[in-house]
Amino acid sequence: MNLQIIGQMAVSGALMGMVYALIAYGFQLTYATSKSINFGQGELVMVSAFFSLTLLDLGVPFWLMVPGGLVFGALLGLLVERAGVRLALEEKSEGWVLLTIIIGLFFFSAAENIWGRDDRPFPSPFSPDSVQVFGVDITRQEIAVAVGVLAIMGLIEIFKRRTLLGKAFEAVSADRDAAELMGISATRTVMLSYALSGGVAAVAGILVSPITTVGPTMASALILKAFSVAVVAGLDSGFGVVLIGMALGALESLASFYIGSGWREAPGLMLLILALAVRPTGVFGKAGIRKV
Amino acid sequence: MLWVEDLHAGYGTSEVLTGLSIEVKAGSVVALIGANGAGKTTTMRAISGVLRPTRGRVRLDGREVQGMDASRIARLGLAHAPEGRKVFGPLSVEDNLLLGAYTRLPRFFGFRRRAKDDLARVYDLFPRLQDRSRQAAGTLSGGEQQMLAIGRALMARPKIMLLDEPSMGLAPVIVQEVFRTIRRLKESGITLLLVEQFARSALEVADYAYVMERGHIAVEGTPTDLHRDERVLAAYLG
Repeated sequence: MNLQIIGQMAVSGALMGMVYALIAYGFQLTYATSKSINFGQGELVMVSAFFSLTLLDLGVPFWLMVPGGLVFGALLGLLVERAGVRLALEEKSEGWVLLTIIIGLFFFSAAENIWGRDDRPFPSPFSPDSVQVFGVDITRQEIAVAVGVLAIMGLIEIFKRRTLLGKAFEAVSADRDAAELMGISATRTVMLSYALSGGVAAVAGILVSPITTVGPTMASALILKAFSVAVVAGLDSGFGVVLIGMALGALESLASFYIGSGWREAPGLMLLILALAVRPTGVFGKAGIRKV
Repeated sequence: MLWVEDLHAGYGTSEVLTGLSIEVKAGSVVALIGANGAGKTTTMRAISGVLRPTRGRVRLDGREVQGMDASRIARLGLAHAPEGRKVFGPLSVEDNLLLGAYTRLPRFFGFRRRAKDDLARVYDLFPRLQDRSRQAAGTLSGGEQQMLAIGRALMARPKIMLLDEPSMGLAPVIVQEVFRTIRRLKESGITLLLVEQFARSALEVADYAYVMERGHIAVEGTPTDLHRDERVLAAYLG
């Protein structure tokens, strides 16, 4: 009985953790091309989720809402690149850190003004009954999270390996100047990475919202965990984020059940502190050192 | 084909090129020689757009290209095989070659089929690249990476190729092989601007040569002229 509860907690936590992994994957995409990440990525998740909810309120069917939200997220990603990241990178400055935080704050205020401060439920197209797998109950929405996360990451990885544009993306990550000499525009590739990253963030929002509800504060809760995952898994490790994300999700779920619901955030923070202590070069140092 | 006038460029506040003018005629091989630090590589970078020139004009096939992004200049028909090869290490040899033809190929599907003839041509020139086509480019030897960098530039079917220090860091036998390749390319009618520290070998293949000193051209002429110039002879061909 006890073991079953642990299993139950760990599994639903791990599925939740796949959402953190997906957001962390979004960090990897932009880091690969531009050595920059969007510190306002959580707000992007949140605003895209609100936008998708509005689409549903307007009577847009589910199957159309998902691509709609994805495109919206991609556009927001492009906006972050154009209004923030590019300005800093053109000056070869690290100013993108502050600029992306500011753009995130702007999104946050905009969301509060447009959609209000309250958390709102996000409907799920799936029936609430669950499926039994090895004695563990898994809801259909949770299955959708797992399938959705793996599907979008898989599609992007196939794009990178199988299409010439994807190979160009990899070329810019490997050597920006040399890629330019092949006629590949580095600027456009960075834009593409921000669009992909924004689309990925929107999908994360759409997948997680039926479980967590939608509200302005979801941004900060998600971003912290995605950071922890990105720091531990590294900014260039591909599917490593999925494993770390699932582990973190499971830990959180167990902590909140056994220690108290106030401890839910603890594992993420501890993981972050531990990772930074063990590897003080932190988020940016790791990949940077390996590349040299 | 390529015409450069009064080119100035540098890094930060230090000016490396102080008014350099050269010309590369279509179908000719032009060598740019000079001591270390004279600004040969900077010249190449400023022409191809990796480094933005601060002053001067660069005309490629009749079109002014100074100040454009390197990717735009590449699309106009200039292929620059940079110093230090700069192959895409994590990508396979074949992917490196395909990316060389990026401007001419479809972005999503069918690019491999469209590049078949060009790949065959490069593999014919460098059979060793075919043997290693699936290997990550970063695992190749220095000589093989240089072959790959040249092959990658050829894939673009460029109007003009800039080849920077192809012999750098290579064993003498491999250097000879590189120069054999350059001679073959010359026979096929390529337009080439070649930077080399082995001035003697460079002059053997070149139709015309420029000698650089401190950011500008000090002497120019045909290889025969330069061989008669006592100062050049002493400084670079001694």
